[in-house]
Amino acid sequence: MAQKRPTLRRQNDPPVLILTSLADGPKHGHALIKDVAAFAGVTLGPGALYGAIARLEEEGLIEPLAPVDRRRPYRITAAGSAALAEVARELHTVSTVAAARLGLSLGAAG
Amino acid sequence: MTGRQGDRARLLRWYPPAWRERYGEEMLALIEDEIGAGEAGLRLRLSLVGHGLAERARGAGVVGPSASRDADLRRGALLVLAAWCSFMVAGAGYAKAAEHFDAAVPVGLHPLPQVAYDVVAAFGALGGVLVLVGAVVAGPGFLRMLRAGAWPRLRRHVLRASVVSGFAAVLVVPLALWAHHLSDHQRNGGSVLYGAAFLAWAALGVASLVLWTAVAVAVGRRVELSARALRAEAGLAVGLAAAMVVVTVASVVWWAGMAVYAPSFLTGQQGGTASAVFDLPLIVAVGLMVCGLALSSVGVRRIVRA
Repeated sequence: MAQKRPTLRRQNDPPVLILTSLADGPKHGHALIKDVAAFAGVTLGPGALYGAIARLEEEGLIEPLAPVDRRRPYRITAAGSAALAEVARELHTVSTVAAARLGLSLGAAG
Repeated sequence: MTGRQGDRARLLRWYPPAWRERYGEEMLALIEDEIGAGEAGLRLRLSLVGHGLAERARGAGVVGPSASRDADLRRGALLVLAAWCSFMVAGAGYAKAAEHFDAAVPVGLHPLPQVAYDVVAAFGALGGVLVLVGAVVAGPGFLRMLRAGAWPRLRRHVLRASVVSGFAAVLVVPLALWAHHLSDHQRNGGSVLYGAAFLAWAALGVASLVLWTAVAVAVGRRVELSARALRAEAGLAVGLAAAMVVVTVASVVWWAGMAVYAPSFLTGQQGGTASAVFDLPLIVAVGLMVCGLALSSVGVRRIVRA
């Protein structure tokens, strides 16, 4: 049975935002929402967040940790890091080409 | 559980039970973090309804990405089966709307409506046969599934469908006896009471159809099929989708033919015009067919991509 690639697409997809947030350490739902809003300006609702968490867990890209006071943190897995790295490379390639064609200087990521 | 906790828990009632069991507690904690002790707003409620229903559709195996080619074939076929349910309901509405149309249009003079009606009937029957063949192909796997102890997981679906269809079957007897004592006019809108009873019975019939489709989908999600049987099911689903396209087109042709040659049949009034033939039951029936087509096209796309 052929396995498919994880379903990561655009940079604003909740799964990509969640993986990006978890790349610097485990977080629970509320911390994820605040972090994503801070770095991407995107407000994820509880439904969208948990829909994406369920998919990512299903695909083995994140894993749950023991809950702390009803709040369960999640951490990125090795497969999740690899998938996020692939997305980052693709986005970097596209943004580099776009910037070059527009004559823009992107500068260093902050 | 306090009143507020109960209200919060009810926010998640649109999600499937298994999903609630896994994520419910932490999601409620998140909602608590997000809105504190306040009331959940309309936007949040609607968002949870939408995502909950999406999870149910995903849990039923009819939408969402699949892990494998086989899962895509299976989900595509189940999506077409769900679309067929919508067609069965539409077909019943169309059959009622077209009842005795042949008396209003002389076949020798204007054969188009009769030809279109025959095409609807023939391809509708072909669809039914394809579904039956699909059930036969899945039969051995279904029996193995039951022998392996799957009945407890199906019991709730089957009992619910059986109870509703039992009610519909029992109620048809007094309804038929009542109709026998009414005139044509009373049976076709003249008696409000009979009309309401007929609509209630029709709603039971539709619910029964939907629930049996849910049983078929629940079985279809779990039944083990060989690669060959799965390919056969997918092929049958594509054939069923094609039959649905023909039925929809023929229904619209029939409607147009009647609008041109016998508008009075559709309007129920002598001397009706072609512009006054937007008959509500027909609009609902064809609308359901179009919804079914949209659903089946998603299923066929899934099968073809796999």
